[in-house]
Amino acid sequence: MNRVVKVMRMQLANRWIFIGIPLIILAASFLLTLIIWSFIPNDGGVRISGGSQAVMWYFFALGIQSLTLTFPFSQGLSITRRTFFLGTLSLFSLIALITAVTYWLLGLVEQGTGGWGVGGSFFALDWIADGPWYQPIAFYFAVMMALFLIGFWSATIYKRWQATGLLIVGISVALALVGTLYVIGSRNAWPEVGAFLGSQTQLAVAGWFAVLALAPCRRFVPHPASGRALVGSAVKWNRPRHAESVPLPTLLHRIP
Amino acid sequence: MSTVIEVTDVTKTYRKSEALRGVTLALQPDRIYGLLGRNGAGKTTLMSILTAQGFASSGEVRVFGEHPYENERVLNRICFIRESQKYPDSFTAEHAFKSAALFFANWSQELADRLVTDFQLPLRRNIKKLSRGQLSAVGVIIGLASRAELTFFDEPYLGLDAVARQLFYDRLVEDYSRHPRTVVLSSHLIDEVANLLEHVIVIDQGRIIMDDDAETIRGSAFTVVGSAEKVRTFLGGREVVHSDNFASLASVTALGTLNESETREAAELGLELAPVSLQQLIVRKTMSASPASSGAADRPLSEVAR
Repeated sequence: MNRVVKVMRMQLANRWIFIGIPLIILAASFLLTLIIWSFIPNDGGVRISGGSQAVMWYFFALGIQSLTLTFPFSQGLSITRRTFFLGTLSLFSLIALITAVTYWLLGLVEQGTGGWGVGGSFFALDWIADGPWYQPIAFYFAVMMALFLIGFWSATIYKRWQATGLLIVGISVALALVGTLYVIGSRNAWPEVGAFLGSQTQLAVAGWFAVLALAPCRRFVPHPASGRALVGSAVKWNRPRHAESVPLPTLLHRIP
Repeated sequence: MSTVIEVTDVTKTYRKSEALRGVTLALQPDRIYGLLGRNGAGKTTLMSILTAQGFASSGEVRVFGEHPYENERVLNRICFIRESQKYPDSFTAEHAFKSAALFFANWSQELADRLVTDFQLPLRRNIKKLSRGQLSAVGVIIGLASRAELTFFDEPYLGLDAVARQLFYDRLVEDYSRHPRTVVLSSHLIDEVANLLEHVIVIDQGRIIMDDDAETIRGSAFTVVGSAEKVRTFLGGREVVHSDNFASLASVTALGTLNESETREAAELGLELAPVSLQQLIVRKTMSASPASSGAADRPLSEVAR
């Protein structure tokens, strides 16, 4: 059996974590939403709930945990970093895909039953569910993968550079955001930004999420010749010659 | 047969301290090695580097003839469960064993089951809720049942009671004799593991201060007990490692071996000869190497070691 598949099976050794608990979170948040809808007076309007994102945040936590705890365990079993990364990423892709398709199907049911009979919208949210079938699937898939990978990268930075690293990255991201807001504000560009955001399709947003999630992958891939990552090149790092052929986020290489 | 591990001049520097300094070693296949040393001497650091979980600052590492880093051909044949091994929060011991069975080609479920019974390990309890000893048992079971060609045990006895420790030593020897492999056992309980070891490597403050056959080391010193004056005459100019005095009696440990006539002479003088325990010898060596560490750091290895 392929070792990447074995990593997927190792991650699934306890089925509750990847299958049972997400199902419970989804069912619970949906039922709670139905209960809340039932005691809001029905004035014929649309009832929107953001409860469907509950599962996605759970994936964010899983991303963190799979690195901080499952990764060290995988090292004890002599699994290479590359195999661990590919196996974990594959498993997450699979689960994100299944979840995205489930959301889409339940969205169809929702639209077919007039919002579960009470005009609610939980899965088939406005805008997300518009357009062809593959758009909402791509959107949900990308959001989940982005959350998982952001959790995974944050945990990686924490493992490599501890709290200092996480703080520096966090503050840098916050500064970049504030800087962007300032630039937009100082140029009175908010209307254009609004128009730009409004013009985005679900697919485009999915694409943006993919860029966000995969940016560290690309950023941290080492340059074959120098053995140094683009980011963190200030830190000298003796990479064994053997590793040059390994296409893997450098960050993962660096975890001691 | 070729060497399993070849380490040449490996150093590991952390920001302010040197964990390993110029370590050079060669390990042969199908032997039991003891990696002995005090806490913080560099045992775990060395094993991490050998298994590509950590990185050397400089020097060459070859395991099964290749660099182990991201090398599946090499890593497939290694098992290294750390003393502070982490397990996923949601795992029970059973999950851990099932995962290990996936990755180790020679995994013996039969042996794992037997060890679970031996150690009375609760299989279905969350790993987070296991006691320190039970946690060590999980690591020991993975290490033994993996039957990996190169198995590292990193202070595997932590928290285990005397019975469980003896069980581990017995099972190790038993399974090793049936399925020979290279075992590296790191420990600071030297006397307990002394009988298992075929080869002893002592590491102190990041340096290898002893690397020899267990038998050779045991024979490299002896203890003489008797009247202080006679002992002094008998030993002459030999290098004394340690001496204890009780009134007019002395018990002195000296380096070297005794030939037949010397043994006879000792008997005639009424002196008693005793073998030295590995632990005593290593403690003496380590203590004599340590206080001078500032000066010893610049001395060549051979002087410190032999």
